[in-house]
Amino acid sequence: MTASFVEQQHHDALPTTNHDELARQHFVRSFKEYLVAAVHPGLKTAYEKRAKPNFVAKHQREPENIADVGEVMRDDPHYQAWSSLLRTSQEMMWSCTQLPVERTIHELAASAQEQSQTHGSLRLDPELVIPPYHTGVDIHCQPGGYHTEYIPSDVAQGAIYDRAVYLYAMGQMGGDNADMGDSTVAWLKQEYPAFKPSKILDMGCAVGHSTLPYASGFPEAEVHAIDVAAPMVRHAHARANAKSLDVHFAQQNAESTDYADESFDLVVSHILLHETSSKAIKNIIKECHRVLKPGGWMLHVETPPYEGMSPFDTFLFDWDSENNNEPFWRKSHSLDLDELAKLGGFQRHSPIQVMVPSAFQEAQRTMTFQGGDFGGGGVWFVYGCQK
Amino acid sequence: MSDADTGANAIKLRRKAKGKRPSYFSDPDVDRLLSMIMALTGELSVTRDRLDTLERVAASKGLFSSDDIESFALNQEALDARAQRHETLFREVNRVIASALEDLEAAPSEEYGAVVDLVENDDAV
Repeated sequence: MTASFVEQQHHDALPTTNHDELARQHFVRSFKEYLVAAVHPGLKTAYEKRAKPNFVAKHQREPENIADVGEVMRDDPHYQAWSSLLRTSQEMMWSCTQLPVERTIHELAASAQEQSQTHGSLRLDPELVIPPYHTGVDIHCQPGGYHTEYIPSDVAQGAIYDRAVYLYAMGQMGGDNADMGDSTVAWLKQEYPAFKPSKILDMGCAVGHSTLPYASGFPEAEVHAIDVAAPMVRHAHARANAKSLDVHFAQQNAESTDYADESFDLVVSHILLHETSSKAIKNIIKECHRVLKPGGWMLHVETPPYEGMSPFDTFLFDWDSENNNEPFWRKSHSLDLDELAKLGGFQRHSPIQVMVPSAFQEAQRTMTFQGGDFGGGGVWFVYGCQK
Repeated sequence: MSDADTGANAIKLRRKAKGKRPSYFSDPDVDRLLSMIMALTGELSVTRDRLDTLERVAASKGLFSSDDIESFALNQEALDARAQRHETLFREVNRVIASALEDLEAAPSEEYGAVVDLVENDDAV
């Protein structure tokens, strides 16, 4: 399906993989591509020819929402096969990225410390409480979640995530998994050429794959990035060093940071909001407002809200909420985002909700969002507001 | 490349994500079997990739090429040996089917519980 095989750009914070470990990872990537290209399209056929007629026969009306579609699709053999395979591909993705990390966990921790000497900084907070929305289930099925630590100075969960993001997106976010950041930076520069942020904060940065585009895109700016998980920010710092970029990483919760009021020109996040909770998302928007300077921008890159999607598309796009340990996925895609911004203190300007074109794969722009094809739409949804 | 750390420092990562694993087919064993089939397919793919690497390395070192493999003619001895190996493979893989038939063909065997009773209580006076 893809025109050419874009392999992840190697950097010194990634584990070494032996021949078979790499072959196992490439299999998972191909498996996921096969599901997107060859199995997913059949869902529409199964729905139109089998599931929907079943629903109409029973209820004398068309399916109107997720529950209606689910009632008949859950019994459909093609949906069952796709779901079972997609779930399996997700589990295999984590397994094949865990193996080389498990094998080299001690040397990864040691080399991360060695590599982290030159660029930016790292602040850890061993007292930080990992929020319940991260400990309830392991989000998107990564065993141990973002935060589990196995040894002192552990980077394992970060090193696993770094490679898994590449496989998850099947290379559709580029060799550095940077497309969410790259696309947002490109869009900002095009839409607001006069906007020159001098201080930037990335919330929920994970391994900093979306953070680094801000450091390279706004080289004059001071870039900060936070995450609740120590293994993420440790790996992120080593990774930024491997790419010779200055970012100040800190282990902090985006709901309540230690940054001064009005200290940033730009606060961003990338697929953070859907991994929080109803209470946390309100706190995060408030916190964005607090740390932003007047005139500064808050931008959250996400997948688009359900509003306006057909019941069938919504049902499939909602797959992660019940099948991939994304407990806040459904509700986060149905929020009143304008109201959320207002509640958070953004009263002066109207919030924006825009589709931002991918900086990486213009040729493959399908504009569609579907379960199991992350980054395949060639566009990103950006929600934000100016303070 | 470092070898697996099998000493006292060896760390076992958690392999199961916290949260209930959903099932999709009416019998959850079908989900489990499908997952095992895909894992086997993955391992087959790894083996094929390794063979591919082997051929490419051999070609790059001037040892033999993929064409040498494609044009390799099986002689009688090789044909016989392979046929023999295939038969063994089928027999091993389908062992459980053959066993069931053997049981059916043999005299009815005693109930397992009766044998347990026999070996546990054959010292009774």
